Amino acid sequence: MKSLRAIALILIFLLCGLFIYVAEDIPVFGDPEAPPIKSVKLFTMEVDQVVSLLDQHIIPEKLSRELVKRGFPPPSHIEKIPGIDGEWNAFIAKEEPHYAKEEKYYWIKKEGDSVRVSRYAFVVRWIEKGLEETAVTNMVTYGLADYRGYDTLGETTVIFTAGVSVILLLRRRSRL
Amino acid sequence: MKEERRERNVVVETVARVMIPFVQLFALYVIIHGTGGPGGGFQGGVVFASAFILYTVAFNLAGVKKRFPESANTIFSSLGLYLYAGIGLLAIIFSLGVGQYLNYGFIPFTSHFEENRALGMDFVEMGIGITVMAIIVSIFFDLAQKDEKGSEEEEGEESR
Amino acid sequence: MEWFIAKIFAKYNYWVFILLMMIGFYGIVAKDNLIKKIIGLNIFQTAIFLFFISLGAVKSGTAPIVDEEIIRKGYVYANPLPHVLILTAIVVSVATTAVALSLVIRMHQEYGTIEESEIIEKSSDKGTTWT
Repeated sequence: MKSLRAIALILIFLLCGLFIYVAEDIPVFGDPEAPPIKSVKLFTMEVDQVVSLLDQHIIPEKLSRELVKRGFPPPSHIEKIPGIDGEWNAFIAKEEPHYAKEEKYYWIKKEGDSVRVSRYAFVVRWIEKGLEETAVTNMVTYGLADYRGYDTLGETTVIFTAGVSVILLLRRRSRL
Repeated sequence: MKEERRERNVVVETVARVMIPFVQLFALYVIIHGTGGPGGGFQGGVVFASAFILYTVAFNLAGVKKRFPESANTIFSSLGLYLYAGIGLLAIIFSLGVGQYLNYGFIPFTSHFEENRALGMDFVEMGIGITVMAIIVSIFFDLAQKDEKGSEEEEGEESR
Repeated sequence: MEWFIAKIFAKYNYWVFILLMMIGFYGIVAKDNLIKKIIGLNIFQTAIFLFFISLGAVKSGTAPIVDEEIIRKGYVYANPLPHVLILTAIVVSVATTAVALSLVIRMHQEYGTIEESEIIEKSSDKGTTWT
């Protein structure tokens, strides 16, 4: 079977090249500002009068128009991050039974002479508000059984189906 | 073709006889403390099944089948899944106006919304642990079965 | 030199896991014994799990269990989302290995051998309905 080993080695080199080409965009190992853990950058704007409007807690018109043009919901409420100069949090309105009606969504930061708008990742809500919403201290458990409960239901069905398939394949007629 | 009897090993048998109850107790601890530290349903279920595998390795397969018969195995493996889907159905019944499937906050175990969610998660983890334990034990018993005609004996399956 | 260090040496974990993936892939494609193919599949799946979990590492981050003292001291938490997704994937891997092993047992009872080339010869001798 020499030809099979040669084909395998050629395929391996091609796949290695493909993976190395794809891994250029993946964040550096252990970056605390990477997209999966903190935020994704959306766009940048010029400073104009945006900064002074944001300091007085008023939503600028240009910001809402730019966000709606790209398909994101417009903000309803702006707050300043305490202790740091030049960064703001923007909230949007949400409809959920029994919980607060707004959620922290955008992060606006002034760097140099432009303003960068980015969106918070989903795990920021897990890490910050998990304990007061579910009264459980283990992040992986309340992520698996409460926020992602449907996935775990399908998971249990998968392992149940595997047990049934092994019974059907390996038991003879007399013992079934 | 005459079967050869396996020779008995006193050290392995004595150690297994002492260790099996403690392994099962540790597995129950891992399942129940899933909300306070590392652990949960899947991990505790696999540790529980490994106690039965330890018995098979030290003694023979017929002894385990007497203590854990196949009818009990099939009942346990579907009991966990009933528990999971049943808690979801209770959540629909008790959340009158809104009607959400797996939102454990509306089931009235206690009087706070957040503590209801923690208790609902405890029940769900116990259901997952029971199902995983029964299925892994059933798979192992099927793979380790010897045929009646005396052909090959295939043993073992890697358990994680 | 800066570009070299930033792009290649800082991401050393991805290259190691890609090497492990290729070892498993070679085992699936180029080996004859059926049990060796199943072991190659397991190595491939394990390398994919490690690759996905290492995406969620944070420099000097602690385990994701909420504690008051850790928040007060100002530590950072590691990302808990990849752990949740990989727990599901591990159980799928166990189910796949169990069904594959039971299929190998049935093939051995039917043909008497586990080598792939001998099974192909015997099945063309037996006269199946496919040609």
